[in-house]
Amino acid sequence: MSTDLTTTPATAEALAAVFRRVLEREDVTADSDFFDLGGDSLVATRVLSAVARAHGVELAFEDFLLAPTPAGLARRIAAAA
Amino acid sequence: MNEDDGPGTPTRSAVVVGAGLAGLTAATGLAAHGFAVTVLEARERVGGRTHGIAAAPGVRIDAGAAYLGDRHTELNALAAELCLKTTPTTMLGASRFALSDADDRPATSDGRFPPLDAVALGDLFERLAELTDAVRPDAPWLTPDAERLDALTAAEWAERHLTHPDARLFFPLFLGEMCAADPADVSVLHLAFYLRSGGGLRYLNAFAGGAQQDRIAGGAHQLCERLAAPLGTAVRLGEPVRAVHQDDRSVTVRTDRGAYRAEVAVLALPPLLADAIEYRPALPQPRSGEHTARGCAVKVHLVHPAPLWRDHGLSGWSVNARGPLLSTVDDSPEDGIGVLTGFVTGAEAHRFGALTPERQRAEAVEQARRLFPMLPEPLGVHITDWLADPYSRGCYAALLGPGDWTRIGPALTAPHRRVHWAGTETSTAFFGLMEGAVRSGRRVVAEVLARG
Repeated sequence: MSTDLTTTPATAEALAAVFRRVLEREDVTADSDFFDLGGDSLVATRVLSAVARAHGVELAFEDFLLAPTPAGLARRIAAAA
Repeated sequence: MNEDDGPGTPTRSAVVVGAGLAGLTAATGLAAHGFAVTVLEARERVGGRTHGIAAAPGVRIDAGAAYLGDRHTELNALAAELCLKTTPTTMLGASRFALSDADDRPATSDGRFPPLDAVALGDLFERLAELTDAVRPDAPWLTPDAERLDALTAAEWAERHLTHPDARLFFPLFLGEMCAADPADVSVLHLAFYLRSGGGLRYLNAFAGGAQQDRIAGGAHQLCERLAAPLGTAVRLGEPVRAVHQDDRSVTVRTDRGAYRAEVAVLALPPLLADAIEYRPALPQPRSGEHTARGCAVKVHLVHPAPLWRDHGLSGWSVNARGPLLSTVDDSPEDGIGVLTGFVTGAEAHRFGALTPERQRAEAVEQARRLFPMLPEPLGVHITDWLADPYSRGCYAALLGPGDWTRIGPALTAPHRRVHWAGTETSTAFFGLMEGAVRSGRRVVAEVLARG
């Protein structure tokens, strides 16, 4: 996996913002687990939609399950880009 | 009928029409404030859109409204007051999905997520969330852009905005699950309002942590039975109301058996039924609009000796592109028989409702066999058609079509002189749910008391 060290933290922060928006809560960090914050599969698809719009990367639902944090998803996006 | 007791001791009086959750909540509240109350109910039972049917000796199951969640605070409080317990809706194990044309081989997957394009579904939910966030929950008719949103049906909206086939496939199924509507039946404003009113997309869709988290142990109909019991013979069954006449001094509610006069009347009915009554003086405007439709739900119960699907790692949850059972859920009572509930909703409910009972049963059993081939023939099959029910005219709730909210909304709870309005369709919070019914009953009690 090639991780772009300059863009991944920025991507993680952008994803944390998406988490905050769809979960309607502010206490989200790069390592927050989406499901621990009350997220479910329906809300997860909204994150995947936002990722596709912002990054042009279509992640599968299984990708989300394997990396349900802003940092984890940022790494997946970097790997897929 | 309720004349003053005598000089100096006037008894305040109310006639409540409809012995569902809203009417009985109102009647109980008014009685507690000293009102002489008469409740007129068309059916030979109380309960309205809650109804317990016998699935096995001593076991009743919900043929109507069933679910509640933590945010349903008034309903939870009422259940506690009535010494009723709740039981969690069980959903452990894998789901079944028959969403492709290869209907005979349903897919199995963990959780509730359908094997469809996740980004396409995400686009759908992002669009729905945008609509939901924009709606004015307390007054949808005052939503910015209300006129435009109210002019468009959800079907027209989907046609314009949903491009991916998976989103187009899933949208009507989702709408059927959420509000028992066909997309052609509701305006975009109603869709957005309904989702917002129920707590938003996630809450309304969720079992654990959402609106389907719990059920009333032993059946939701017990709420109404226990509310009605202390009212005794004040609850008059088999008395469909024909007319409501009022003058400066009183209101008289007429049935085929008699006339009931009181200081105020509370009409706790779905809007289509409220509009079937004759009013003198006439209502300033009808309670329903040109396009208001019946909620399209037929509930099918398949009864097994135990929740056998759990032994096979299945939750009982399924979502299916073809009917009649568009979704199924495990509604088994605790520690007993297994009950698989099938939901027939939207346009499919109209088709299914027109079949003979034999044909309905055959179709339901055959589909369940394909979805859950490991299950034996069910011990019992119960079919409850709310669409055809003359004293509900639909379930879960009335569907507001184009133009309805902007026309009806402003007068949703406005009393017609001595006539006050209750029913889940008059509650902008948790519209269409039991919680909305209870809240409407509480609101109307406060309104009547405020008359002075």
